Order: sequence, then C-alpha cells, then structure tokens
Amino acid sequence: MTWLTWRQHRHQAYIAAAALAAFAVLLLVTGLQMASQYRSALAACTASHTCGTLPSTLTLGSPVLFILVTLTLAVPCLLGVFWGGPLVASELETGTGQFAWMQSVTRKRWLTVKSGWVLLGATVWGGAVSALVTWWSSPENALRHQNFDVGKFDIQGIVPMGYALFAVALGMAAGTVLRRTLPALAVTLGVFAALRLVIATWLRPHYMSAITTVFSVVRPATPAGSYWLLTSGAVGPGGQRYSSGLLTINNVPIIPRACRTTFSQGVRGMLSCVRDHGFRGYLTYQPASRYWAFQGIETGVFVFLAAALIAVTAFVLLRRDV
Amino acid sequence: MISFRLDGRSVVPPYLQIVQQVRQALRMGVLEVGDKLPTVREVVAATAINPNTVLKAYRDLEREGLVEPRAGHGTFVLRRPAGPPPGTHSRLARSLGRWVRGAREAGLDDESIESLLRVTLQAAAAEEIA
Amino acid sequence: MTADQGATRPVIQTRGLSKRYRKVTALREATITVPEGRISALIGPNGAGKTTLLRLLAGLAWPSGGDVAVLGSTPRQDPAFLAGIGFLAQEIPLYRRLSAEDHIGAGARLNPRWDAASVRQRLKSLDIPPDQAVGTLSGGQRAQVALALTLAKRPRLLLLDEPVAALDPLARRHFLATLADAVAAGGLTVLLSSHLVADLERICDHLILLAASRVQLCGDIDTVLAEHQVLVGPRKDTTALERTHTLVQAVRTARQITLLIRLNGPVTDPAWETADVGLEELVLGYLGQGAPPALTHLTTVGED
Repeated sequence: MTWLTWRQHRHQAYIAAAALAAFAVLLLVTGLQMASQYRSALAACTASHTCGTLPSTLTLGSPVLFILVTLTLAVPCLLGVFWGGPLVASELETGTGQFAWMQSVTRKRWLTVKSGWVLLGATVWGGAVSALVTWWSSPENALRHQNFDVGKFDIQGIVPMGYALFAVALGMAAGTVLRRTLPALAVTLGVFAALRLVIATWLRPHYMSAITTVFSVVRPATPAGSYWLLTSGAVGPGGQRYSSGLLTINNVPIIPRACRTTFSQGVRGMLSCVRDHGFRGYLTYQPASRYWAFQGIETGVFVFLAAALIAVTAFVLLRRDV
Repeated sequence: MISFRLDGRSVVPPYLQIVQQVRQALRMGVLEVGDKLPTVREVVAATAINPNTVLKAYRDLEREGLVEPRAGHGTFVLRRPAGPPPGTHSRLARSLGRWVRGAREAGLDDESIESLLRVTLQAAAAEEIA
Repeated sequence: MTADQGATRPVIQTRGLSKRYRKVTALREATITVPEGRISALIGPNGAGKTTLLRLLAGLAWPSGGDVAVLGSTPRQDPAFLAGIGFLAQEIPLYRRLSAEDHIGAGARLNPRWDAASVRQRLKSLDIPPDQAVGTLSGGQRAQVALALTLAKRPRLLLLDEPVAALDPLARRHFLATLADAVAAGGLTVLLSSHLVADLERICDHLILLAASRVQLCGDIDTVLAEHQVLVGPRKDTTALERTHTLVQAVRTARQITLLIRLNGPVTDPAWETADVGLEELVLGYLGQGAPPALTHLTTVGED
C-alpha cells in the first residue's frame, strides 16, 4: 500500500522537493547576507552607542524578499488544496476507487496508509519551510522583535506544521464528503482561510490572560522586553477604557472641556492637563516570554481539529457507498 | 484430433451439436477407437462455450457407451456408433455427390434438392413402418 | 440463508434485496441464487439495476433492505472476503497516469494470490505496451488491461459489468474463451452483465433477467427456456390460457396472435401451434412488457 501511494504521488513529491530546494537556496543565500549585515550594523552602533535607533534606521534585505517570505502564509492552504482535496475525492470521482478498494486491502487500511504518508509529508514539508523562514528571520526578530505579531507568528516556529496537518485533513474530509475534487478545493480554501482568520484574530489573544499595565500619560511606561501589543489607549477617571485614544469616540471628543484649549500649548501641556483630570494610559499585551507557549497552544488547537477531521473522513468513507 | 464448430443460430442446443459432431467423426473415420477426445479446456479455449456444455456432451456420449473417461488421462473413444464401417460412408458420399451433380445439371436448385430428400426420407420411413 | 441439503452452498444468494437512492429505487426486492461454477448472465435494459446489483454484491454499496450473502457471508471489509471477489466496473477504473506494470505491481502487493505472469503474457500477446501510462491507451486496450488484472487476482467469484462492451469481435471472443477456460479450470463462478445476447447464449448457463428494477427471471438457462413456450394461433380469447399459465408477452395482429407464456403444466388446446423459445426471444419478450418503445437492439453493440 505504501508502494502504491508512492507510485501515485511520486511526481508531486519530486516537484515539492524541487520547490523546497529552490526556496532553501534563496533563503540560505539571502539569510546569510542579512545575518552578516545585521552583525556589522550591530558592531558599528555598539561602538558609537547609537543602538537605540537601530530599529528605525536599519533595513535588512529587500521588500520583495519580505513579501515572498510572507507569502509562505499560503503554504498550508496550498498543501490542503492540492494534496488533501484529491486524496479521496479523485478516487470517488474518477471511479479508480473501484480498483483500489476491490484489491484485498480494506478501505480502512487504504486510508490509514495513504493519508498517513500524505499527512506526514505535508507536515514535514510545511515544517521545513517554516524552519527555513524562522532561521532566516532571526536577525529581523532580534532587531525589531515583531515575531509575535499576527502575520509573522503564523509563518515561523511550529504552528505552520499544525496548519499544514489541518489543511490536508480538511481537504481530505471535504473531498470524502463532497465526493468531487473541485467543490472540495473550494470548500478547503474557504474554510481554512476563514478559520485561520477567526482563530488568529479572536482566539489567539486569549490563549493566556493578557497583561494590562496602566500608567501616567505624561510618562508612558512600556513593559520591559518585547511584547505583542493587543490594545492600547486611555483610562478615564471613572475607570472607563478608551482604546481609540484620547481623541474621539463616535466623533464626540472625550478630552475634558477644560483641556481643549491647551492644544495650542503643545502636546506636553495638553497631556499634563489631561493627567490632572484623572486620565491615564494603558497597554494590554502578551509578553514575548509567552511566545513558545502560544505557539504550542495554537499548534495543539490545529492538531486537535485535524484529528477530528480525520475521524470524519474515516467514518464517511467506511460507511458510505463508494 | 477433432475440432468442433458450433452454430449459434442452429435450433440444436450446443451440447447436442458436440455429441452429433463426435458421432459423425466416428462414422467418417476422423476419430477412431482409442483416440483421445479434446479436453474440456481445449474445447472451451477454441470455441468460447460454457465448460458445462462440453461436460454434458461428454457425459451423454459416455452414457451411449461411445466414450469412457479415464481418471487423470482424459476421455477416450470406446467404440463406433452402430452403423456401416467408415468406408461405406465415403463410398455413399461419393455416389451422392455424383447424383447431386446430375440433379443440378437437370436444373434443380438446392432448395428443391433438400425438399426432394426430405420427401424421400419420409416415404422411406413410412415404408419401414408398413 | 439455508442451502439445499447435500448441495454446495450457492456462491450468491439474496433475499428481498433493495437499494434506494433518495427518490429513485434502483433495485426492488431482488431474490436470486447463483450456484457455484456457473457463468451467469445478468441481462436487462440500462437503468434496470444491473450495476447496482453488482456493486451490492461486491460490497461497494450498502443495501437499503433485504439480505445478501456472497461466498457465504455478507459483503464486508475483510481482506479474506475481498480476495475472493473480482469486480470490474463498466468505466474501466484504472489510474490513468500509472502504467499497466504499475497496476500489476499494486496487485501483487495488495492481494494474497496474484498471477502477474498471466497479465504480462496477455498484454504481450495483444501488443499492449506495459510501461506506458494507461490513459494513453485506446479504450479497447484499457479494457483488456483491466480484464487481465481482474483475472490475475484468482478470485472465486467474478463480477463483471459490461466487460466486453469496448472490445472488437475477435477480442470479445478471446476474452470469453479465457473466461470459460478459467471456469473450466475449476473454483470460479462468474456473473457478467451484457447487452450482447448472442455472446451470453454461448458462454452462460445461468441467467438473471432484470427489468424495471425487478428480477423477472433467475435460473439455469436450460431450465428457464424449458419453462417457456411460444404459442401461435388465430386471434381469440386467451383468458382460459392465462388462468393456467403466466402470460409474458402477447402480440396481436388482425388475424393472428402470438403469445409467450411461462408454462404451468402442458398446453392441451390443439388450436395452438407451439414452439420452443430461444434466449433472445425470451429476453425480448420479458423486456417488451412495459419497456419504453425505443428499446430495440439487444444483439447489436449499442452505444453507451
């Protein structure tokens, strides 16, 4: 059964290996360049004690390259669409299942071996891509500490493996239920994108309780170390939070009347006035120390979802007419 | 070795066609006592008919006492069907051939010859009963 | 499922087998028996339920009602059961991008019994390239590959859905000869569906006739034919006759009436001229009742 799986997918495997090799070469070459660029910039700024401004003055690599790397967001989805979708659907649609499932191998064993290899291959491939991206991003991460942010979190570390596993399982389940490849591809694409968006935007910030610090508007206190900013804004005298800042909510200014005339005196004057009226600032964030915990939790969520989808696939395939 | 020819359109069932062809072969001398009949598989491979048909035919022939199966070796001819020796057949076939040529020259077509033959056979049968 | 005492267990036995898809009933109350060693013909117009029946027997579809026993057990996902059955679907299911050799390799690794040499020899004798992608072969060549692969499995029961539809007459003859030879070698029962009554008459000794999703006839061909008769006579009232026997089909002209009946005892009325029924006539008679008027060609290769 492993042999048949290989014979069926070997061209796909060759293409994937070639693409990975090309990607690896690109990232290795540019990554080494960026790393040395960063090192020399660091040495220079340390000597002149200007390292505080380094994040705003140093640009590593080119914008095109960053866009390309960011595009690896699409990798798990593509794996799900091209490797997962047709896995069962093509056998049902073209009728080749009637060849495969009438050899002396049960559908259970067929699914176990075939999906096992494809899921493993997708996870490993997605993991290789994310390993390359993580390594390549290390100078950038050291410089600007943005790897907890949405968009960067999703392409580094171990979560891309979870996404890949989930996407292929999703494609497989969609194909088994819908029995045709094209609808399965569409459903996989749509559901995957929607779910990722929902989880990244609404679930991820809450994996662990966020930390909130409140501070004086005159002397903002940012947390020590890097962090993932969730919301920030002002706290009114009664404790109300204004995440849009001090200016307006629904076009109604919330700056106390008395302070409106202080605009002309400059920002500092206005802030002092606002502080005197009981306003303070706040930050809600997740500290960078929690990065790997979050990576683990999100990966776990997607692995769990993948397992559920694999169970659905098995149930439908074993119980339905083929 | 005898080879069978089956006529799908004939009203005679296939197994009976085989029986008749074996009997005819024995009369004509194509098959002789002690010869081995083709195996079921050989017949089936040549004619694409059901093996049970061949088995049925061979069983009928065995019942008539014309052939006998020898376990592990095949089916062998035991004796000829009652009737004149092979030589008679060829002799009669030759004289019949001459008669048919004469009939054709006289202007009879095949259909007329056939009905003439049928009528003659019926008359001969009636004579025997009488 | 009880077998006749002393007789070997039938290879196929169903009782009241039905299959419904949402609104359509593909098979209704099918009760059939196929004894071992038979080559059984599954005959019926398109849409009568032939493919459905074959898929139910193979375990590719689940019944909506009734019982089905194949090789002594309900069709199920079990390597031993699957090894005993060969199934060939009408659409010649092969992986188009894989070669014939690939399929042979798959079969060798997925089946306990596999005669790879027979497939290779067959392909060689037919000049079919074994290393070329199967999708690039002609329809007839693909059919030959698929048939050879199905036989190589050495099953105890072969279920073939229109296996010779794509073959030319010589190839058809070759295939049927191979099939008959495999049955003659022993241990094989075949159920094949086809439109070509002439072929079926030659090679089959058992018959299952489906029409309007129901089993109309099931039995050994000799027995079934002996149970029917054609009566020709002057046009007259047939109620007395119909009381005793089953009327299958009646063709009435101004002066004459031709009946196909299923006998229930002898026909004693001397006014009737009786004749034996051939298989083709019998099939046409059963399919003529209630079938759409456009249904004609059963002996020529139809277009699917």
